Amino acid sequence: MKILIVEDEQALRESIEDYFSEAGNVCEIAGNYADALTKINLYRYDCILLDITLPGGSGINLLKNLKENNHPDGVLIISAKNSLDDKLEGLDLGADDYLVKPFHLSELKSRVTAIIRRKSFNGSNLLKFNEISIDLLGKQVKVGRQIVKLTPKEYGLLLYFIANKDKVVSKNAIAEHLWGDRIDIADNFKFIYSHIKNTRKKLMEAGCKDYIQAAYGTGYKFSEE
Amino acid sequence: MKLFDRYNQVNLIAYIVLTLITGIAYYQAISWVLTRQKDKDLQNEEMEIAEHVHVNQQLPQIFDSKYLQIGFKKATPNSIKRKFVDTLYFKKWGKDNPKRLAYHRDGNLEPGRGLITSVTLGGQYYKVVIVESKVETEDLIRIIFLITAGVILLLLLALFLTGRLMLNRLWRPFHSIMHELNLFNITEPSTIPMLDTQIDEFRAMNIAVTKMAAKAKQDYSTLKTFTENASHEFLTPISIVNSKLDSLLQTDNFSEKQSKLLDDLYSGVSRLNRLNQSLLLLVKIENRLFQEWQSIDLKMMIEEMIVQFEEIYQDKQLTLTCHFEAKEILASPYLIEVLLSNLITNAIRHNYEGGSIRIELTPAHFIISNTGAREPLPVEDIFTRFHKSSGSEGSGLGLTISRQICENFDLLLTYRFDSPYHQFIINF
Repeated sequence: MKILIVEDEQALRESIEDYFSEAGNVCEIAGNYADALTKINLYRYDCILLDITLPGGSGINLLKNLKENNHPDGVLIISAKNSLDDKLEGLDLGADDYLVKPFHLSELKSRVTAIIRRKSFNGSNLLKFNEISIDLLGKQVKVGRQIVKLTPKEYGLLLYFIANKDKVVSKNAIAEHLWGDRIDIADNFKFIYSHIKNTRKKLMEAGCKDYIQAAYGTGYKFSEE
Repeated sequence: MKLFDRYNQVNLIAYIVLTLITGIAYYQAISWVLTRQKDKDLQNEEMEIAEHVHVNQQLPQIFDSKYLQIGFKKATPNSIKRKFVDTLYFKKWGKDNPKRLAYHRDGNLEPGRGLITSVTLGGQYYKVVIVESKVETEDLIRIIFLITAGVILLLLLALFLTGRLMLNRLWRPFHSIMHELNLFNITEPSTIPMLDTQIDEFRAMNIAVTKMAAKAKQDYSTLKTFTENASHEFLTPISIVNSKLDSLLQTDNFSEKQSKLLDDLYSGVSRLNRLNQSLLLLVKIENRLFQEWQSIDLKMMIEEMIVQFEEIYQDKQLTLTCHFEAKEILASPYLIEVLLSNLITNAIRHNYEGGSIRIELTPAHFIISNTGAREPLPVEDIFTRFHKSSGSEGSGLGLTISRQICENFDLLLTYRFDSPYHQFIINF
């Protein structure tokens, strides 16, 4: 997939670029309003990560420009402005999602993957990963032909892992993804453990390979290896 | 004690002392003048007697007189020293005076003024005593004294009343400034108005108060802006640390020690982030930036929220008792969610294993009670910023935010300890 990262903070931009750069992905970057405007008018992207506050102009204007020209690029706003108005304005203008700084890279990846999936599947709502197939509309998971009954949290966890496959996902990121950042009780780490244990058990009982590995006590990795 | 009362008290004492002194002085003066008058009369009488003796060579005949009594008495020559004396005057009552019957006496004694002198008639030395009644003088003094006292009392009364009226009127600007000061709220945009007063002192006070209020408001708003800007500026570095940690995690294998370090870093950044978010939220609520009011079905919202917390309170083996009645309020759904989530989080966090939580919603109030510490919490402190119970994982801003949210919607959040339950109550 082809991604444009519009972000003025170099360190953050590099982290995102790093995280998204993998086989089959192309990442381009823009550090200011003018660069970004040139790029969105010249090339098409699967998803544009758009910071609102940029040197030289507002990301909201870039979004307007995209929509005026009927460009189909997916847009994810990343902003430090945690204001509901900004969020609503961005979504009203046609942004696909809105993520507030600071965020975990795995969360960003999962959101971007979801946007691209929605944009490109064109009606087909089936997500496949080796023997696992997921019906995104019906929220049904199958291993081979066998249906696996997952709870909503386990289902969310599986999607999150698949979006971040081959990456180590931290426990903090998983906790925030499953419970939101408003619930800040530190000991929901142990619930992560039990959710992961259950998901793994259910998948393996249905004949799935063991893809989920604990990574140095800090996080988990979903990988074929 | 009111200033006016204090003033009156001092005044009254001064007036009374002054009136007493004046009265005594006045009495003495009049008494002195009138006694001199009497003495002159007595001297006249003495002269008349001397003249009579000189001309007629005999003692004058003594008539009964109402106010004057004269007595002659033989005495050894030159034994009498002429002098005026205060003495008693025996007043004889008239034959048909009813007092005679009533008291069985011929008369009564009255204060008198006497002159003891001497006269020599044909070689015989006589002591002469002339006594005059002072009753009329005394009466006169009394009348004069009474009139004076009356006038003084009237004067006092007049002073008191005008003082009261005047002072009440004079102090009006002061009370008005006091009223404004009491209403003053640093977070409200309204200012203290200038008063229309002629009195310099009050005008000066009004100007000082107005200036002070404006300054306080400005400082407050500067502080708020600073907090907001600071929190905003923190977001980017926190983002960078957060993303770098995520990136670091993707690099090579870590030793156990390294991963423990990473864990601690993550939780530190996460706490920093939550703290910062809370500060931002607080500033936004104080700035009243959440104005999209909607009708909220509280019962539904609480029930949904409880589901989110299910794993957490079940893990702690807390017993949850709920009593919900339908209640709708008009508020910002986002803030009410924050409020409820804060209160429920607290009820779980500050509970012990196997404790209990009671949530009650009626049209009149929302009460969340939880078991926990045996002692009541310090009521004055719990709503202040960064007040934390020891060992708490929270930001120390949860209750401050909760109360601020309630104030934003004119609700009142209070705490009560009803052993063994700690209760937080919102009255609608």
